Amino acid sequence: VYEGPVDVSLGSGGDPHRADLDAKVLAWMSEDEWKLDDERFGALAVELFRYQVDACEPYRRFCDARGATASSVEDWRDIPAVPTGAFKEVALRTFPKELERATFRTSGTSDTRRGELHLDTLAIYEASLLPTIRRFLFPELSPGERTRIVVLAPTPGEAPDSSLSHMFGLAVETLGSRDSAFVWQDGELRLPLLREVLASAREPLALCGTAFAFVHLLEALDSLDESHTLPSGSRIMETGGFKGRGRQMPRDELYAWIERRLGVPGARVVNQYGMTELGSQFYDSVLVEPEAPRRKLGPPWVRVRLIDPEHGRDAGPGQPGVVTVYDLANTGSIAAIATADLGVAVPAGDEPGFDVLGREPGAEERGCSIAADLMLGV
Amino acid sequence: VPGSTLEAIAGAEDRLVRAGAALRQRPRERTLESLAAVFDAWSEPGGRWQRRLVAELPAATGFSAPNVEEGLARALASWNGEALREWVTREIGESSTAVGFDQTRVLLAGSIPMPTMLSLVAPLILHSPVLAKTASRDPVTAHVFEESLAAVDPELAAALEIVSFPGDDSDGAAAFVSAGCVVATGSDETVADVARLVAPGTRLVTYGHRLSIAVLGPLALSPESLSETARLLALDVALWDQLGCLSPVAVYCASDTGATRAVDVGQVSEALALALEEVELRLPRGELPTATAAATRAERDGAQMRCAAGEDVSVRGDDRLRWTVIREPDAHWRAAPLHRFLRVHPVHGREALLAAVAPLSRHLAAVALDGFDNLANLDGGPQSLSDDLRQIGASRICRPGTLQTPPIGWHHDAEPLLTPLVRD
Repeated sequence: VYEGPVDVSLGSGGDPHRADLDAKVLAWMSEDEWKLDDERFGALAVELFRYQVDACEPYRRFCDARGATASSVEDWRDIPAVPTGAFKEVALRTFPKELERATFRTSGTSDTRRGELHLDTLAIYEASLLPTIRRFLFPELSPGERTRIVVLAPTPGEAPDSSLSHMFGLAVETLGSRDSAFVWQDGELRLPLLREVLASAREPLALCGTAFAFVHLLEALDSLDESHTLPSGSRIMETGGFKGRGRQMPRDELYAWIERRLGVPGARVVNQYGMTELGSQFYDSVLVEPEAPRRKLGPPWVRVRLIDPEHGRDAGPGQPGVVTVYDLANTGSIAAIATADLGVAVPAGDEPGFDVLGREPGAEERGCSIAADLMLGV
Repeated sequence: VPGSTLEAIAGAEDRLVRAGAALRQRPRERTLESLAAVFDAWSEPGGRWQRRLVAELPAATGFSAPNVEEGLARALASWNGEALREWVTREIGESSTAVGFDQTRVLLAGSIPMPTMLSLVAPLILHSPVLAKTASRDPVTAHVFEESLAAVDPELAAALEIVSFPGDDSDGAAAFVSAGCVVATGSDETVADVARLVAPGTRLVTYGHRLSIAVLGPLALSPESLSETARLLALDVALWDQLGCLSPVAVYCASDTGATRAVDVGQVSEALALALEEVELRLPRGELPTATAAATRAERDGAQMRCAAGEDVSVRGDDRLRWTVIREPDAHWRAAPLHRFLRVHPVHGREALLAAVAPLSRHLAAVALDGFDNLANLDGGPQSLSDDLRQIGASRICRPGTLQTPPIGWHHDAEPLLTPLVRD
């Protein structure tokens, strides 16, 4: 059971510039109607950049080396993006260390470096998270309405530095009905309890967890030759990849497997694309626009560019590019982040999105050397 | 066409049964004579077969034509008939009666031609007919080699069949590995996949992926030697775009713990950067996959962020990601995206060097070693540095500039090539 509530007081530490920025960002996040306001985004992003280069010395030097200064950058597209890997190396925060209230860490083992997101407030993080999950995963919920959420991941108490557990905890606390639960304990899926939940479900529910946790569940159901048909209206949210888990699986295969064993059609399986280093998340569009192409969408205070890594410019139509995110929720760290993922734009009406590309199944290496990060897990 | 892969494999299998019967009737000397003639033809600089690969390999593999030309000329220069005979004698003896299996199935990998040639020829030496599957990134070399064999000895060439099918064709893969002996090269994941497919009792010979490094001492890094050392290492990096197991991915600049001759890693990085820029003009880098470009950009940006945070790191590289040199502050191992991406590490003393290299042991192929008064003088020690490195896992120690020219018969797993294929 989720332990909440959490401390969501603002953490500007008395810095009026930061307080002003936080207030503007929070105001946007609290609006009921989402509007992709490019002008508003651009102005806030540039203002936030100017604040962050001033407040975070390593970032200022990083930008200086690229000729990007507080006075030279006038368009948000010119803001230098920090690679996610840098969060493993450098404490990227815009506030004094002593004001830190929470640290989220990327997954990893004790002998690998883990990326860290330092926060002096959870208010913005949560103000971004909640309307986004509500819009893309629970679009039909009326204000104040709750639904059953079953989480295949540790509780925030068990994994206090996991942003994913924090997100699930907040979702359960804010949107979950009384019979919501975490079916995970001591690092393991509570399979008997979960099977009971699956077998007894009479009302639609949301099963949420990592892709790998779902694979674990589905393998168990395979070995038991057990299938379920979850009530119509149920949905699944899966997130994360398979790196370091010894098994890669294309998403369409995973979704077909889910449909076979859990009776939830692929069209109601939502992939969440998020990462520890980001305050905001992206979700598949399938529940909000079931007729349109599946694509990742995010809230209006976030922009994504797909950047051709060889030439450093926007990737052409249909061409892959590095998913580079500009997230106004990251006021306390760095807003512009180059992820380690490649994506491709998915055009669709007024709200284009993107898709994240995985490694091509069966792709072979050109040489007999080996990319050393794969070999050594660094 | 559904079933076409299975039909192709079945057809090849039938033909190999007949070719195998003829092959086994031959004296080995006749086979060696033919293979020696084939290798003599291949080793000829600018000869017919090298020219064929220079013409056809770039489009298929993404390497630039000058790179293929230089790589082949250097690697095959000493791979002549005489060298082939010496290799066979060294491994199984001059008058050995050792024979291979009724058929050997070879799963080719990568896009560098020399390992492909060795993989095809080894079973034939043992009079085992070969069915090979081409690597998706090199559909050319195996066929050209087969042609060169047919030009010398059609009967021997009939014992070599080549098929191609997608890597995710599980039915095709299962049929392909149904033989007495299967040879597979590839990543740990690929090798594990093949191991799951083969029937119990099958001889499975696997070769994994490897990498190489350079260890340089003060003499190689002195002002008089540095530019030449860098030129030679840059060649090792540039050939085959650093994708071969013999391509160095990291350079360790070693000084003794007393630091009486501490090396300037910054100068080494600068010299390597200049050398890589120069070699790019002569041997342009080939195709850069988007994922590699992204990884390179991320590693460069990450290093620049470390520099911005006060670490003693520098990044050198051109705008188009044709080469990168990162000066590291320590010997800590970091990701290597390949495609001409080099890290330069300082390391003080023998113990620190060996500790830095030790995590690589399972995957270490070769070490380019140079610049020590004698190989034992880095802080002294009971044995030479090269012995230490061999003990850690390096199967080849050589000078910079020669990493890409191993002797015929050397394999990156340091295992013999013929004896694992011999039927008991």
